[in-house]
Amino acid sequence: MPARLISIFAPLAVGILFLLLWQGICYFWHIPPYLMPAPSDIARSLFSNIDTLGHALYSTLTVTLAALCVSVVLGVLVAFVLVQHPLIERSLMPYVVLMQVTPVVALAPLIIILVKTTLLALVICATLIAIFPIISNTLQGLKSVDPGLEAFFRMHKASRLKTLLRLQIPSALPMFMAGLQISSGLALVGAVVAEFVAGTGGNSAGLAYEILQAGFQMDIPRMFAALFMITLTGLALYMATSSIRKLVLHNRVEH
Amino acid sequence: MQETVISIQSAEKTFPNGVQGLAPITLDIHPKERIGLIGPSGCGKSTLLKLIANLHQPSSGYLTWWNKGFAEVGKENRRLSFVFQEPTLMPWSTVRKNVRLPLDLEGISPDVSAPRVQQALEIVSLAHAADRFPAQLSGGMKMRVSIARALVTRPNLLLMDEPFGALDELTRNRLDEDIATLCAKDDLTLLFVTHSLYEAAFLSTRVMVMAAHPGRIFAEYEIDPSIPRNEEFRLSDTFATICQDLSKLLIQASQSSLLAEVA
Ligand SMILES: Nc1ncnc2c1ncn2[C@@H]1O[C@H](COP(=O)(O)OP(=O)(O)O)[C@@H](O)[C@H]1O
Ligand SMILES: [Mg+2]
Repeated sequence: MPARLISIFAPLAVGILFLLLWQGICYFWHIPPYLMPAPSDIARSLFSNIDTLGHALYSTLTVTLAALCVSVVLGVLVAFVLVQHPLIERSLMPYVVLMQVTPVVALAPLIIILVKTTLLALVICATLIAIFPIISNTLQGLKSVDPGLEAFFRMHKASRLKTLLRLQIPSALPMFMAGLQISSGLALVGAVVAEFVAGTGGNSAGLAYEILQAGFQMDIPRMFAALFMITLTGLALYMATSSIRKLVLHNRVEH
Repeated sequence: MQETVISIQSAEKTFPNGVQGLAPITLDIHPKERIGLIGPSGCGKSTLLKLIANLHQPSSGYLTWWNKGFAEVGKENRRLSFVFQEPTLMPWSTVRKNVRLPLDLEGISPDVSAPRVQQALEIVSLAHAADRFPAQLSGGMKMRVSIARALVTRPNLLLMDEPFGALDELTRNRLDEDIATLCAKDDLTLLFVTHSLYEAAFLSTRVMVMAAHPGRIFAEYEIDPSIPRNEEFRLSDTFATICQDLSKLLIQASQSSLLAEVA
């Protein structure tokens, strides 16, 4: 069997085996669904609540993607500003790090109180978490320009704009793509965290809010169903960014 | 006054860390000369080349390019190309676009540059690989792309820093012959660094033997420019004599470098 198929079917087989085992344990020991729901209970809950869960997914996805877009635009912009001069980087980088090391969970309640529009507040929280890898990776990428090529551009008297477009941006692309992939995962984490915080105030609609609500009602299968959808979203984001990365960089690897 | 391509007037290079890469050097390079630089490693060969390419500024002294300042370089009949030790290609661009780069930077439109790129690729026998990416090429092919990129501007002065160091001897000999043919045909002045004295003997009309601590020109050796540089020359007694002479000079230069280091 070709390696490609193995890499798809082998993990799939492990997953199915795991679900069967789980189902079997719940069945034979008669574990009640409110303690540990069997995969079949979760699936049933998923289908019976598909409307609400679908809406919740839509809401979480909106926040995640909006935060990812804002992170990319702002993060790249910040990286470009930082790379202009070592002095700018030295003066501003500590604040970028400060923003990164401050746990956004601690900041989220404040943001949600201050920002009246819930959606905007959620996007701000998720962006605060997701933006750092974009900034740091793009910055590293912009600085990773081949010194020989840089000398070549200088020798040919290339303008600043041409050097940026033809040398710096393409050089930064691999690092940026790696940052994008990390950031897409973090945007989802940020969206979920923000929804939890906002959800305790009762004015949210995402998947985290569904988990909270299901928890209040002791509807454990629905909790699992919402969790399942979050995981699936994360996986989809990972695969999407990974494909984009491969598509953009496929010429640079030896084959 | 005879026109010089490059005139170096007591140019000296001391790096910010205090290392003197090059003691004051005075040297004139005339049109159609082919100068080979040999010498032990660390004797300032690359530093000298970078001064000429304006990638380093001299700490004292000055240089002129075609009796003018560097601002005039790049204009008609004052074109300079540099082949680095590494291929330094853009991994994200095809061979064709890599070769086209200097023309793009000059603002020449792709329609005008296309035939010139094609011609440069033909010189290095890479026309068939124009649409490949650097990652798909062997080391020798990458180096040939780098040479095509240097030739596409039709340079009047070509600088090369150990360009074929990583290639096998056969490939290297073939490229040397191509360069020799090119120099004979065009109004091309050549200055190259090599660690192979055979290469220096084969291509040069003048060999500079350099020594270190500090970097300086230790000896000059002239080779009759009228000798055609081909396979026949490589097998001749003249060539063997030149290689012997250069070999002796190189040994003396290394000894002088060592003595200077101890002192
Ligand atoms: N950027 C630099 N900073 C400090 N020292 C340097 C730098 N570049 C070269 N040198 C030093 O200058 C001397 C000459 O270097 P180089 O011209 O590269 O020698 P070569 O090319 O002949 O091997 C060496 O001793 C080297 O260590
Ligand atoms: Mg060198």
